Amino acid sequence: MGKIKGIRHKHGEGFSIDFYAYNSHIRHWNATFKVSFSVLILILCIALENPYVSVVVIITMAYLTIIKGALSVNEYLSILAIPIVFILLGTFTIAIDFSKHPMGQYNLYLGFCYVFTSQTKLKVVVFLILKVFAAISALQMMTLSTPSSEIIYVLRAAHVPKLIVELMNLIYRYIFILMDVYTKMKNSAESRLGYCDFKTSCYTFGSIASNMLVISLKKANTYYDAMEARCYDGDLIFLEEDKKVETIQIISAAAFIIFLILLWGFTR
Amino acid sequence: MEKPILKLEDLYYVYGNGKSALDGVSVDIYEGEKIAVIGSNGSGKSTFFLNINGVFTPKQGKIIYRGTVVNKKNLKGLRKNIGIVFQDADNQIIASTVRAEVAFGPMNLRLPKEEVLKRVEEALEYMNISDFKDRPPHYLSGGEKKRVTIAGIIAMKSEIIIFDEPTASLDPINALMLEEVLDKLTLEGKTMLISTHDVDFAYRWAKRVLVFCQGKIIADGTPLEIFQNKEILKQANLKQPTVMEIYELLVEKHLLEDSKAYPKSTQEFKKMLEK
Repeated sequence: MGKIKGIRHKHGEGFSIDFYAYNSHIRHWNATFKVSFSVLILILCIALENPYVSVVVIITMAYLTIIKGALSVNEYLSILAIPIVFILLGTFTIAIDFSKHPMGQYNLYLGFCYVFTSQTKLKVVVFLILKVFAAISALQMMTLSTPSSEIIYVLRAAHVPKLIVELMNLIYRYIFILMDVYTKMKNSAESRLGYCDFKTSCYTFGSIASNMLVISLKKANTYYDAMEARCYDGDLIFLEEDKKVETIQIISAAAFIIFLILLWGFTR
Repeated sequence: MEKPILKLEDLYYVYGNGKSALDGVSVDIYEGEKIAVIGSNGSGKSTFFLNINGVFTPKQGKIIYRGTVVNKKNLKGLRKNIGIVFQDADNQIIASTVRAEVAFGPMNLRLPKEEVLKRVEEALEYMNISDFKDRPPHYLSGGEKKRVTIAGIIAMKSEIIIFDEPTASLDPINALMLEEVLDKLTLEGKTMLISTHDVDFAYRWAKRVLVFCQGKIIADGTPLEIFQNKEILKQANLKQPTVMEIYELLVEKHLLEDSKAYPKSTQEFKKMLEK
């Protein structure tokens, strides 16, 4: 895991997406613009169902994330590796079929049955992979350049119910606190041989889990006191920053979308 | 005689489990005072602070802020004017960026956005943390988190600022920085209450000391008076500040003249020895 200047990385791989978002060079772009752009591209990818469109989207999103956002290629690929594995596993079963007799354009005898596939089927699968991959890279562009808190602001602006938005805010903040608490408890258990064998490990894990619940409740109480002390009266309101959308960004986004639709029109 | 900014009359507070935490506390606090609140663990200091701020409602007793008795209706005004910096910064930080965190209090005061932004910038500048205003709090160190929580209170422009054991989790450099901030706030005429276990700090910084023991204020006076009173120190599980102890030792051994001019810090002590 490479270190990135500025912010120190404390947590495991699971949190790196949030971490990359804070370091992205296109973070200062207007969050609403980024979210709506990537969602629009996502919808276009699915609705147009065109391999050329998918390829263009994959390349553009990689360009935005890697060149504009200054994320290293290795890290981008390692983040995409997880969905790629799932896509390959999922589409593999679509591509193949089983039969007692040799059939299809390509088949493989396994001893008791044949695995077969055909060119058309393979084509369908490749197109499907491209489509899903394009959709995912559009969303990755958003998550790798927009911190969760800003995505939550966008949801609030989109009139998602207040309860959900407030919960998202609190949960987001809380995940990190619970992670810290858990790490501390785990380390202290470890130092007292709490994980010496399997049985003890299970017991320790259970104790930590129940202890976490108690601590969460306690923390919730102190949190509430701290919020009340600062005039909290039922509405959780945070300062939202206005980031200007530059005209050039809107124009390029619009041009890109028109280009995709034209591409679809010509290659249909 | 000037009027107290905050007057507490006979406060009683009992926790849900029936444990009494405050047992008849009365105190007058005047504008611009520097008060250290000392006492052993569980002696009621934190409960006292939360009562002052109106988070806890006392079972009995009155809180009078600038001549008006605090009730449910004007509670918000009380909270606006009394800010608490909590002991554990992680229990206070709620927002997901430093800027939003500092803005949390001002936003709750329903100030216009320009005013909020102005105050946030000022507070960040004040605490010297403008550089990481866009960072999420979980990527900050302990000392930085503490500064963020203090900035959050400064942005509210409270008249009275309460610090609950501010030096407890800070390294010496950060503790020094905190003292500088306290000095700066003093110059601005803020009234401050600080709870601490660091008797050296209390002796050096405070102009007045309140000693808590089992929910009662057992002593209220200048640091010199309090720390010379061995009986009170014993009752409240405290010890004498080191500088004071050494001074008295030297006087006892006739190495120093007993001028009753107790030095507050090592620097003052040094000057005294050089004379």
